[in-house]
Amino acid sequence: MAQAAHRDRTLIAAIGDEDTVTGLLLAGIGDIDAHQRANFLVVDGKTSQEDIEETFTSFTQRKDVAIVLINQHIADDIRGILDEYSAAFPTVLEIPSKDHPYDPSKDSVLKRVQLLLGD
Amino acid sequence: MAAVRDNVFPTRMNLTMTKTRLKGAQTGHSLLKRKSEALTTRFRVIVRKIEDAKLKMGKVMQNASFSLAEVAYITGDISYQVRESAKHATFKVSAKQENVSGVLLPAFEKDTQQAAGGQFELTGLGRGGQQIQKARAVYMKAVEMLVELASLQTAFVILDEVIKLTNRRVNAIEYVIIPRIENTISYINSELDEQDREEFYRLKKIQGKKKERAANAQRELDEIAKPTINDGSLHPDFAGDFTSAESSSAGVRDILAEQVDEDIIF
Amino acid sequence: MNEIYFNADAGYLEGIVRGYRDGLITLPQYLNLTQCETMDDLKLQLATTDYASFLQNEPSPMSTSTLSARCTDALVAEFQYLQQNAAEPISKFLDFITYGFMIDNVILLITGTLHERDTHDLLEKCHPLGFFDTMPALCVATTVQDLYSTVLVDSPLAGYFRECLSAEDLNELNIEIIRNTLHKAYLEDFYTYCQGLGEPTASIMAEILMFEADRRTVNITINSFGTELSKDDRAKLYPRLGSMYPEAQTRLARVDDMDQVKAILEQYGDYKTMLSGVGTGASSGGAGGDDMSLEDRFFAREVQLNKDSFEQQFHYGVFYSWLRLKEQEIRNVVWVAECISQQQKDKINNYTPIY
Repeated sequence: MAQAAHRDRTLIAAIGDEDTVTGLLLAGIGDIDAHQRANFLVVDGKTSQEDIEETFTSFTQRKDVAIVLINQHIADDIRGILDEYSAAFPTVLEIPSKDHPYDPSKDSVLKRVQLLLGD
Repeated sequence: MAAVRDNVFPTRMNLTMTKTRLKGAQTGHSLLKRKSEALTTRFRVIVRKIEDAKLKMGKVMQNASFSLAEVAYITGDISYQVRESAKHATFKVSAKQENVSGVLLPAFEKDTQQAAGGQFELTGLGRGGQQIQKARAVYMKAVEMLVELASLQTAFVILDEVIKLTNRRVNAIEYVIIPRIENTISYINSELDEQDREEFYRLKKIQGKKKERAANAQRELDEIAKPTINDGSLHPDFAGDFTSAESSSAGVRDILAEQVDEDIIF
Repeated sequence: MNEIYFNADAGYLEGIVRGYRDGLITLPQYLNLTQCETMDDLKLQLATTDYASFLQNEPSPMSTSTLSARCTDALVAEFQYLQQNAAEPISKFLDFITYGFMIDNVILLITGTLHERDTHDLLEKCHPLGFFDTMPALCVATTVQDLYSTVLVDSPLAGYFRECLSAEDLNELNIEIIRNTLHKAYLEDFYTYCQGLGEPTASIMAEILMFEADRRTVNITINSFGTELSKDDRAKLYPRLGSMYPEAQTRLARVDDMDQVKAILEQYGDYKTMLSGVGTGASSGGAGGDDMSLEDRFFAREVQLNKDSFEQQFHYGVFYSWLRLKEQEIRNVVWVAECISQQQKDKINNYTPIY
């Protein structure tokens, strides 16, 4: 439900491959706070799944994040956590990446949408 | 199901109260139903929009990453540089609320500071600066769209929750509360009827006794003082009234008769 | 330089480099590449080129970044072969070519140090051609102050740093200004060096480097519109050579929009046509629709100049030209690959063909 706290949520966080994050940062979403915490994570071949999970969880728990953008192919790696995540804030949005075109059938939210439209 | 009812004394006052509750429940039910319908309409609109937007997003993001490829063609890899120069977000969102049938839906709005190039304005100064700015513009558009999609999605999650809740309430009223109140009413009614029947029977019994007593007294009178004409005129009326039941009533018995009638109608 | 003795020192290498040049992808090959539907097709097509051996071991869903990396490997391997077989003064000339890459690498490390990152990870991101022996030593530096003194002592770039920047500048100046200052110093130094090599190298390299300088001048001008870069600072970043130096540069330092740039460049035949088709204002991003962007035109011109340098014999310019052409080729191949992998076929022909 709507909380008063969402007024403080102003940041867009991102988890993605290099190109996606670079693009989003170009648009100006990047932010590094007083504790040297960045609101973005670049996932490459060396990033472990634990790191992704940890970052995702920390993003969703931060009080200043309104939207979490995550590449779909990375979302697939942590699908379990993502499917469990149901809070309205911050909103988790799956976005396509350069090498992985968007596959609507995998999107947690779109799956629900299509289920609702189907009946 | 039929046995479920409120635990009340079957009195007339409780009957009135329960009837009021039934009315209240019915009003509430229709209100909630209307709310749920309003929300569902809204929900369907949002769902459709999400579907469109999600599919559009694929295209937009593809264009965006392509513009980055154009940058790479001219300038080479700028990702590290961009990543390190990120300090403070210039592209933020602010949330505003929209009221749909009493549900507060958040809507994100982009909140950009510094319309100019900001922290990346000098990136690619020697080469490809224009392409970088172009890619930046494309990405800003893309993020704007993502923000829009995010508000839709938040609204979707919240509405989904609220609609489920409302529907649960509607169903609860329709299938649990209203039947229970109805059961209570019919229970009170049947109890009251039962009481009435008992009362009626009791009254009849009393009247029978009275009649018997009256007959006895008459007989004694007849036996003691043989003919008394004055009394005789009263006697057939009195007897006839009771033998032919309520069909012809005397003034003295009116109250009883009315009361019985009213109860039967009940 | 005496042509008679040229082949004694450089004949072998020149032969090699001309051989490399013939290995460059030709127009019919480009046409084949653009017909590909998938990255696998593209890989198959590239098997007929010099990149074959570098690509054959890549697992099948090949990303464009891998392709780019492997192609660069190919370039580096060829260049290093040249370096290993070079004797003075060619080796010196080849070293000079690598300084440009070194500047970018050092800038990368400075950026990392400024943000207190682990600079060891950055070594992988550095361009292999700009790798110098003591570069890993730079990673030891944890503060910018340390880094500055280390760079001064250990890198071939020491001279450029000493002339243009102080340790404080590293902290205060925008990293892009540092980069452009260094590139400017490098360009001027390289130019002076080439002039000392005698004819015909001097004149051929002069033409190419002057074009490079002009390109920098125009780019810096256009890209600094509407930014915090002051006009005086802008003037300081212009290389002190090229056909626009000094007269047009002083005027360019004062302009505020694209139309004024065009007006100034009217008198330069080459650049006049180059700018005529380009949209007004830097914000529009140069290219609109199908016509070529300014950068594309610059690329086309650069390719032309570098091709011309192969028309002459007995000079070092071919080495430089070959490297530039090869770089352009890698950009082209990666561009085609991007178009294929992102299904943007309508733009696939926006590369700059070489032969």
